[in-house]
Amino acid sequence: MDTRLTVRRIVIAGLLAAITVLLGTTQLGMIPVPTAAGYATIIHIPVIIGSILDGWLVGSILGFIFGVMTFITGQIPALKDPLVAILPRIFIGVTAALAYRGLRRWNEVGAVVTSAVVGTLTNTILVLGMAVLRGYVTLPVAASIAVVQGIPEAVVAAIIVGAVILAWKGLTAGRRKADL
Amino acid sequence: MGRRVAHWGWNVESFDFLRHVTIGQYIPGNSVLHRLDPRAKITVVLLLGAAVTFNGSYLGHLTLLAVTLGLVALARLPLRFMLGGLLPALPFIALLALLQLFFTGQGPTTLSGHASVSLWQWGWLHLTTASVQLTVISLARLVELIFLVSLLTNTTPLTGLTHGMEGMLRPFTPLGLPAHELSLIGTIALRFVPVLAEQLESILKAQASRGADLHLRGRLQFIQATRATIVMLVPLFLNTLLRAEDLALAMEARCYLGGKGRTHYVRLRLRNLDYIAIVSAAAFTAAALVWRNVL
Repeated sequence: MDTRLTVRRIVIAGLLAAITVLLGTTQLGMIPVPTAAGYATIIHIPVIIGSILDGWLVGSILGFIFGVMTFITGQIPALKDPLVAILPRIFIGVTAALAYRGLRRWNEVGAVVTSAVVGTLTNTILVLGMAVLRGYVTLPVAASIAVVQGIPEAVVAAIIVGAVILAWKGLTAGRRKADL
Repeated sequence: MGRRVAHWGWNVESFDFLRHVTIGQYIPGNSVLHRLDPRAKITVVLLLGAAVTFNGSYLGHLTLLAVTLGLVALARLPLRFMLGGLLPALPFIALLALLQLFFTGQGPTTLSGHASVSLWQWGWLHLTTASVQLTVISLARLVELIFLVSLLTNTTPLTGLTHGMEGMLRPFTPLGLPAHELSLIGTIALRFVPVLAEQLESILKAQASRGADLHLRGRLQFIQATRATIVMLVPLFLNTLLRAEDLALAMEARCYLGGKGRTHYVRLRLRNLDYIAIVSAAAFTAAALVWRNVL
């Protein structure tokens, strides 16, 4: 796969990063749910959409930006540690893109949904895993957060990513994209 | 029907999203910190950030807290503004601190490598010197990093930050790191945040004027909340992607070729003050890392 940063990729990454910042800095990126943290995040969704549309490079750049943003706006000790806030997020884009590429031939819709779930779980598991390694939470606490937070977030991500990607494919099917 | 209107009521003002965007807000000023080169500021923040992250002693964090507070005073930034963002998260922070205090005491040594002493135990709850130190230092780290990040973003305009970032990444271009492209992504992102906020505002107004129920935001009604979010996010993403196609086409039509051979209108130059800042931050961080386990 081509790994160059073409103008198209730069622009898509930039605009999706703008959505990440917008969702992260307003309360729109948080859906209220009945759990301890109170919110399911949807801020990682632009990362997954970027990696489905344009591969792991755009995905990992977006993941990095998402990480930097949670690092800047984060208000709990674990998120003020770059090893917890930034490093694991880079892999969201990579795993989501791999899941999509691997399953695309089998079934487009299935691949999109799986990719959204894989991306979300990468976020949950790696961030909490890192928080355990750095001693912010203990393993049982992290595991219960992972189940309580990770599952609703994965479901919400699958629905939203699926809706966006399918609508976008439908929109662009009739016309040629700018691939100069 | 007594429908619960949740904590986020919708009225005309609540469509105005940018009012709440305080992250990275540049506060104009003429302090020493405002006048430092952005590259020097980024370097200093990275160095001190490393000191904060890896130092585990009470003494170290007392010093770090004093240093960051001193810098905030030097930049003449309003303290209340910087800590204001913490307020809504306070209950959650307290909950995490309590969990840390009572459930992480099993280790044999404290964060700074001393033997852990048990202070109090009752069933599952276990208070040790290790868990006390971990909790106190995590909270100190939080405050120090909020100060550090705000010091950078509140004293540097966004263009300064992206230029500084590009300047710092440029030495790695021969290794295949696309410095110019990465900073362009950052610039596009920051440039388009207000545009997309406006877009989002008109989407929500359009949905609300057609009678969409956008104010069901109670915690137990998360299915409705998700549905309301889909209604908002799908048009936002589609509009953004269409905009991206147009922008890419426009840039290519103007023969945009990226960073090679490009010059800058504003050239950054490091002055004596910048070197002094970098060297003293490096010396301080080295000390904080060498004595990371004292006390």
